[in-house]
Amino acid sequence: MTLRQTPFHPRTAALSEGQAWRRWAGYVVASAYELSHEREYHAIRSSAALFDVSPLYKYMITGRDAPRLLDRVVTRDVGKAKVGQVLYTPWCDPQGKVIDDGTISVLAQGRYRMTAADPNLRWLHLNAAGLDVAIEEVSEQTAALSLQGPSARAVLQNAAQQDLASLKYFHLTDAKIRGIPVTISRTGYTGDLGYEFWLDAAHALSLWDALIETGTPYGITPAGMLALDVARIEAGLLLIEVDYFSSKHALIEAQKSSPFELGLGWTVALGKESFNGKPALVQEKERGPAWQFTGIAVDWDSLERLYAAVGLPPRLPTQAWRTSVPVYSGGRQVGYATSGGWSPLLKQYIALAHLEGAFGTPGTAVEMEITVEHHRKRAAARVTKLPFFNPDRKRA
Amino acid sequence: MTAAPWDAIVLGADSNGLVTAHYLARAGRRVLVVDPRQEPDARVDVGWVPPQIIRELKIDARTSGVEQSDPWIAAPLAGGGRLELWRDVAKSADAIRKVSPADAGKWAEFCTRMRRLAGVLEALYVEAAPDIETREIGELLHLGRVGLHVRRLGKQTMIDLIRILPMSIAELLDDWFENDTLKGILGAAGVWHLRQGPRAAGTAFNFLHHHAGSPAGVFRPPWSKLTQTLATMPGVEIRRGTAATIVARGGRATGVRVGNEEISATLVVSSADPRTTFEHLKPQLDAEFVRAVGNIKMRACVVRGAWRGNGSRVPLCVAPSLDYLEHAYDDAKYGRPSAQPYVEAMGTEIHVQYAATVDAGLAARVATALGVSSDQVTLEPANGHLYHGDLTLDQILFMRPVPGWSRYRTPIHGLYLCGPGTHPGGGIAGAAGRNAARVILKET
Amino acid sequence: MASSRTYDAIIIGGGHNGLVTAAYLARAGKKVVVLEKRPRVGGAAVTEEIFPGFKFTMFSYVVSLLRPEIIRDLDLPRHGLHVLPLESTVTPMENGDYLAAWGDHDETRRELYRHSPRDAEAYDEYGRLMHFMAQAVKPILGMVPPDPTSFDPRDLFALLRLGKHFRGLGAERLHALIKLMTMSSADFLDEWFETDVLKATKSASGIIGTFLGPRSPGTAYVLLHHYMGELDGVFRAWGFAKGGTGAVSESIASAARAFGAEIRCDAPVMRVIVKGGRATGVALENGDEISAKVVVTGLDPRRSFLQLLEEKDLPGDFVADIKRFKFRGSSGKVNLALDSLPSFTCMPGIGRQHRGAFSISPSLEYVERAYDDAKYGEFSRRPYMDIVFPSMIDPGMAPAGKHVMSIFVQYAPYNLNGGWTDAKREAFGDAVVNTVEGFAPGFKSRILHRQVITPLDIERITGLSEGNIFAGELALHQLFFMRPAAGWAKFRTPVRAYYQCGAGTHPGGGIMGASGRLAALAILGDGA
Repeated sequence: MTLRQTPFHPRTAALSEGQAWRRWAGYVVASAYELSHEREYHAIRSSAALFDVSPLYKYMITGRDAPRLLDRVVTRDVGKAKVGQVLYTPWCDPQGKVIDDGTISVLAQGRYRMTAADPNLRWLHLNAAGLDVAIEEVSEQTAALSLQGPSARAVLQNAAQQDLASLKYFHLTDAKIRGIPVTISRTGYTGDLGYEFWLDAAHALSLWDALIETGTPYGITPAGMLALDVARIEAGLLLIEVDYFSSKHALIEAQKSSPFELGLGWTVALGKESFNGKPALVQEKERGPAWQFTGIAVDWDSLERLYAAVGLPPRLPTQAWRTSVPVYSGGRQVGYATSGGWSPLLKQYIALAHLEGAFGTPGTAVEMEITVEHHRKRAAARVTKLPFFNPDRKRA
Repeated sequence: MTAAPWDAIVLGADSNGLVTAHYLARAGRRVLVVDPRQEPDARVDVGWVPPQIIRELKIDARTSGVEQSDPWIAAPLAGGGRLELWRDVAKSADAIRKVSPADAGKWAEFCTRMRRLAGVLEALYVEAAPDIETREIGELLHLGRVGLHVRRLGKQTMIDLIRILPMSIAELLDDWFENDTLKGILGAAGVWHLRQGPRAAGTAFNFLHHHAGSPAGVFRPPWSKLTQTLATMPGVEIRRGTAATIVARGGRATGVRVGNEEISATLVVSSADPRTTFEHLKPQLDAEFVRAVGNIKMRACVVRGAWRGNGSRVPLCVAPSLDYLEHAYDDAKYGRPSAQPYVEAMGTEIHVQYAATVDAGLAARVATALGVSSDQVTLEPANGHLYHGDLTLDQILFMRPVPGWSRYRTPIHGLYLCGPGTHPGGGIAGAAGRNAARVILKET
Repeated sequence: MASSRTYDAIIIGGGHNGLVTAAYLARAGKKVVVLEKRPRVGGAAVTEEIFPGFKFTMFSYVVSLLRPEIIRDLDLPRHGLHVLPLESTVTPMENGDYLAAWGDHDETRRELYRHSPRDAEAYDEYGRLMHFMAQAVKPILGMVPPDPTSFDPRDLFALLRLGKHFRGLGAERLHALIKLMTMSSADFLDEWFETDVLKATKSASGIIGTFLGPRSPGTAYVLLHHYMGELDGVFRAWGFAKGGTGAVSESIASAARAFGAEIRCDAPVMRVIVKGGRATGVALENGDEISAKVVVTGLDPRRSFLQLLEEKDLPGDFVADIKRFKFRGSSGKVNLALDSLPSFTCMPGIGRQHRGAFSISPSLEYVERAYDDAKYGEFSRRPYMDIVFPSMIDPGMAPAGKHVMSIFVQYAPYNLNGGWTDAKREAFGDAVVNTVEGFAPGFKSRILHRQVITPLDIERITGLSEGNIFAGELALHQLFFMRPAAGWAKFRTPVRAYYQCGAGTHPGGGIMGASGRLAALAILGDGA
């Protein structure tokens, strides 16, 4: 085995019924445990799903200039964040194009944990020149689990030694589960009620066992990446290398995106004195982004008609796709969808798309390409504000 | 806070710093020059002083000039005696004939061809580096003029330029000459202040660089007293004996700090090397710029010193062959001072290559090379790279000091560079300072 | 005895470039004959069964840079070209550790991470930069170099286009390209990486075939030269032709014959016949004379001009330029027939590592010291080596269960102190074999047969002057419009109807075939 295994691999491997694995950051993780991902997906929305998210890149940033380094690198205002807060943020190159996105957890004064989808050790070091800060990569040493779904709080209360009912959305706290020290953040990639656990890899299996045992009465279900993909699309959350390309990997300008073009304008703190990309982003804010990242909901009747024309019922992609699909308006291509699929919860065929300027306005009528029996067709669709699914329990 | 506000503060009372200071003063600015050394440098300047500087600053050429040595070099010959090369091309040919008639026959043409190429460099050195990415008409015209100037020199010169600039000095000299001592003398100019051997590509350029300002057949830079002359010229105030750090806020230069005192000025010019200049400013600079500055190759390889002399002003070159130079370089390659260094003595001053530090036996080895006893040689501690950046092909013109920042400006508004770390580099006295001053006056 | 047949073109030398020229000319309907002095075509791209059952890819051994347009135009796969992937490089280190580069990106990253987490990340950015650099330089490979000293509007126009191309790269990439063209490979890599063995291995590709060390300016450029290969659209992927590089030559020869070209082996040419400043044919060593409208030389510039012609037929400064053109061969080759594969201390056993290359470049100092030996006229006592086991990729190269080992060596200077005697050749072979033994104990006992090739041998066998594998050094001042001489970089020569198509012209050596093709296009364009 030449790909790395996560600290949870002994448990996840034992659960794999169909040997459906995939790569993530040089690790091997489960696409699905059961032969189909459906039940795992439904657990996210009806009980509690458990994901191994250990392959994320994680960095500990400490020292007197730690907030200064982070404020230089990311678009959000880290200096204003309080201990116990978690920030979701992209970060940009000097031209204001997104390099990566991740979270920053304010663990203590002058002590932060940053997560990223791509390796960023070198970038952090380059930006730290002349600053009094220590950067340590802890990706391998830190195991991470994600517990998502309406029953997640109940599972957590049952498992933890403290009362965590008051843990607020995008905040964190230290806790103990069966004596295992963990940091628990109320974060996730499903747009639902959920928590993520961060701990020393040495205790990984113990935590897994503890959660499974205390969670089983609540329907806790280990779930793989296929299930997560559907949920994240419902939540309107973008994925690097799928919905956008890191400017560090882009081969041409057109492959780069600014935060404004990704619907992440709310993360850009232009009030900050300086940060990578600020001058370019100030200018872009003034003239308006060239692209918008938004949702698309396909019209059922239109879809049904296309299939009926060849004598078939509609074939719905229950596994989300990650290819690029053209989106048209008035006969001209005005954008492209990058993630999409059938939402079993919303009973809608939804997609995340990049649309030129004005076409991104919610309510705009567009057409999305669908291949029906080897022929390219267009189904009517409507631009929809993201997220598609936003339950109250997420923040409550 | 100082009572009289300054328009500009120049860090460094060396030739470039003083040239910049005086050009700014001439344009009506109030200039303060700060230098860490207590005493002005009494050494002679080695390097071409562009005549424009003499003219434009109204320097008395008699006070700033120094009598050039003739012969301009002497080198011991293996069998005894010396090879002396003169400012008169024919006289040198006569001297060379005694060791190699074939080489003597080629000497005149070699001198003519090299002189023409050095002339091209001189034209480039009195202007800011060509901006190859520009879209501005003025710049494009300038580029065109440079191109035309070269073409007018004829096809042979053009081919020479294209062919010789990237070559190694060893290959160039092997093409022309056979005598080892002659090639050693010339080859040494190719590796001056460069931690490379004569077989390295780009040393032919370095050779031509050090020919700039000298007449045909003289392959060492001229001497002058430019720094001393400027130090006593009125127009600027010089404060000595204090180290200064640059103060910048929010990406703008606000002045310098000298001890506890902060002296404000919106224009700060540094003739220090780029790394030192930016050391305290890193958090205000772009990460890639900091990286590029960190990547500047400043491989100090020269130690200076003094010896009792041999009673002659004629420089003595101890570099008996190209292989000798190459061996000396090999040691430096692996981090050691040369076991048999290349030594050049000018009066009582000596230039020792290759050494980045003064190790215990170096003085003795230098003495051996000069043929004297070791108590007659004293070496100064190593003091960084005199040129503030190797003159390699990737660190000249628009790549110097850092690609994209070759016009003396820096990312800090109001902070400029004017030292040998910028175009045209070290060994050309005051040229960088003048170019910088002209850019500054245009932009501020 | 004069021959009565007149050809449209005679190609002197059956090296791969000459064969490419022949194929393109024949494809255009010309009557072409290739004259090769040896019993087989290929030049330095030949496979020979030196010991029964064991096929040695004698000189060159890998393929990467063969121009894809040539493969397509001549339909080489149909003529037997089949390139198998070489997926890995393992560098044994002197402390028993190793550095490996695998085909899979995640695997390689993990391996680099083991040595340096920051280098693992820098590697991706570096690779990306090299991709852009290769793209920037690629158009230059396929162009005829314009003459910057001429006043011909076509040259000026081409120069302007070139200038525009470079300016179009943008400041950042233009600067990177300039650095790549002028720096040493060690210095260039120092800006990116900290792992010494990584820099040593990469630098080593920068010194192949040169008389330079990793710290010599100008070697970063050769780094790029070897990064421009394309196999199935993947940059930098090296491959091994089934049957060795001889199979590459044979496939081109087969294509040429299919288009109607005639190939004669054992037909050494003595001189080019020049009448009134025009080439009219050639005279063979056996006295035969063959006429043609056009004569094309695939030999290196020294042979093409100073041997096949008389000096009086050429302008004085051209002769001087050719005499100055540097050829210092510095490469040697050791080909071995093995009873079994060696096991390397750093990665014991036989495994997938044997399907890739082994690079003996444990540190920058190691490679630099190997160069130092050569600088002063000795072969490297501990040489740099690029090792492959062709039989592991193409089992047909050796009898069942046995193996062949191809070792490319730097440095072995052509101008060895005292000259290359038989004893010196064996001593060189011993130095090579003993060095490998140090990394793979027991290796020597597996050797059945050994063939040692010095630069003098390369010269004697293939004709390449001084054994320089690129038909002329790839130094900055010997490239592009200076190759092989200023004003004569467009495949024509001062003698009318005499063309040059070998690697002594742009873009240089590396089994690209580019020179052969560009020369053919020039000939056809001249209306020959």
